[in-house]
Amino acid sequence: MNVLIIEDEKALAEELELFLTNYNYICEVCYNGTSASEKIAVNLYDFILIDLGLPDYDGLDLLKEAKKSNPEAICMILTARAEVYDRIKGLDLGADDYLPKPFSLLELYSRMQAITRRKFGLKQNLVDLGGFLINLTDRTISYYNDEVNTITKKEFDLIAYLLLHKNRTLTRSQLSEHIWGSVINDDYDSNYIDAHIKNIRKKLNAFAPPDWLETVRGLGYKIKINT
Amino acid sequence: MKLRTKLTLYNTISKLVLVTLFVLLLPVLIRDINQSFTDNKLQRQKKKVLGIIKISGIKNNLYAAYSPLKDQFYSLDEDSLEESLDTIRNEKRKIEGDTIDYRILSYNFILGKKSYLLEIGKSIDSIEETTAPLQNIAFVVLLGMILLTVLADQFYSAYVLRPLGQIIKTKLIGNKFPNFGSYKKVKTTTSDFEYLDISIHKMIVTIETTFQKEREFISNASHELMTPVSILQSKIENMFEREDLSDDLKSRLLEMQRILNRLKSITKTLLLISQIENDQFLKEDKIPLASLLQEVYDEISIRLQDKNITYEASVPENWNLVHVNKFLLFNLFFNLINNAIKYNYENGGIKITATREGNNFVVSIIDTGIGISAEELPYIFNRFKKMRQSLQQDSFGLGLPIVQSIAGFHGIKVEVQSEKDKGSTFRLILPAFLIEI
Repeated sequence: MNVLIIEDEKALAEELELFLTNYNYICEVCYNGTSASEKIAVNLYDFILIDLGLPDYDGLDLLKEAKKSNPEAICMILTARAEVYDRIKGLDLGADDYLPKPFSLLELYSRMQAITRRKFGLKQNLVDLGGFLINLTDRTISYYNDEVNTITKKEFDLIAYLLLHKNRTLTRSQLSEHIWGSVINDDYDSNYIDAHIKNIRKKLNAFAPPDWLETVRGLGYKIKINT
Repeated sequence: MKLRTKLTLYNTISKLVLVTLFVLLLPVLIRDINQSFTDNKLQRQKKKVLGIIKISGIKNNLYAAYSPLKDQFYSLDEDSLEESLDTIRNEKRKIEGDTIDYRILSYNFILGKKSYLLEIGKSIDSIEETTAPLQNIAFVVLLGMILLTVLADQFYSAYVLRPLGQIIKTKLIGNKFPNFGSYKKVKTTTSDFEYLDISIHKMIVTIETTFQKEREFISNASHELMTPVSILQSKIENMFEREDLSDDLKSRLLEMQRILNRLKSITKTLLLISQIENDQFLKEDKIPLASLLQEVYDEISIRLQDKNITYEASVPENWNLVHVNKFLLFNLFFNLINNAIKYNYENGGIKITATREGNNFVVSIIDTGIGISAEELPYIFNRFKKMRQSLQQDSFGLGLPIVQSIAGFHGIKVEVQSEKDKGSTFRLILPAFLIEI
């Protein structure tokens, strides 16, 4: 999949490129609006990531151009300008998502995946983990023919997020940000993720030990899938 | 008490005191006036009598007469002159069995070879009989005058002080002081009030500018911080992706991520507060209170489990929050309930109640936690004011300022009652327009 990254902060643009390349995306980077405008007019992209705070161009104008010349592209706004007006205007102009800075790269990837699934029709998204069948579309878990109906919404979110980044260790901070990202409070460094994982294990253990859900000591957790 | 009332009271009381004093002094004054008037009259009558004697002489009939009502008498009698006499005195005289007090002019003179004593008298009663009516008339007239002047004072002071009332009503009283509305000059010809009006306006402009600067600074600082934080976060996350990382490097990276998270939390919180203060949020949502609390509970239940805290929310199902921002109210309740968990004991309890109090709706969050000491209570809403107890928790003192900003934005009043070691109650007083039943 082709991604155009439009970000005037060079260091951030490079990190985005490095991360998405690791996830097998083909990336192009623009550091200003003028060159981005030219690229949008000439090439076709699957994803266009637009920073609104460009020095030479209004990001929203760039979004309009992108929707014209790349109607099929998924446009995401990444910005430190978190004004509500911009958010509403961006979404009104056809942006598919809006991620305020600072955002987690894992969160960006998870959103990109979610939009892709939404846009290109949903086939049943099933994953088999040691006898547990996880349906990411219906948000259900079953063990052979038994449904595991004790799992809460938050616990499923955790499993789905770990599954999306399978075989990668996710730190408690990264998991917290995904689970409680919308809540603004004055806690930091909360370890409630451990409690959630403990509950998930307890609930799944009633059927079979979830050995695929690993604790990486001192770091965090991961779902291990042997490919 | 209002200034106008005070002035009116002062005017009325001072006039009443003066009039009362005057009325009390009136008998003395009238007596003195009457006496000097009577004395003058007696002197004139003496001159008249002496004039007649000078022309006609004294025929051997000496004269003594009194008026039928015995209020005046004249007498001319021979006198054994030893010393000259020319006095006016109060004396008693017996006339036909009645002893009467008279004001008597006594004058002796020599005519021919004889000396005579002339006496002209006027009864004291007749002199003083005008005192009481005069006193009454004076009292009534003065009372009338007082009423008139009080009314005049009242009208005039109302007219003169009207601009002051307008300044107070339009610029000092209200839900929001300082009122940053457009400046409207108060019409007045009194230079003091003009000065007061302009001074208050200048003060409000200064406050507004300062507030604006503070909001802009927080907003800009937060935005400017977002980009470097974003870069650092991305760099750390990308480093985690590398497979050749030693355990030591991983734990260092994790520590950096923790610190960065702390910075992110503070920045996001400051930005949220500045956005609320800059009216950056819409208030168009409608949500049942019970559902909102359920959402908060779903989000926070793991924390309750962690400390084995009982949670009970009894709110009416039909209370709908209207004209609100759901995201903000969710954060308000989350922070309050989260605090009730954070500052609670193991196996403690949290209770949420909803009641009507007059026109208002009150939602209370009651916990059985460690409470807040009386000396810390006034400062709990201050940004970055770290309490001793919050230092023991992983927090930086911005939870309650978030609550206060969101509450203020919605017109909700927050009250706190707390007792050390017994627990705290946070009462949210919602105005009627926020609830639809």
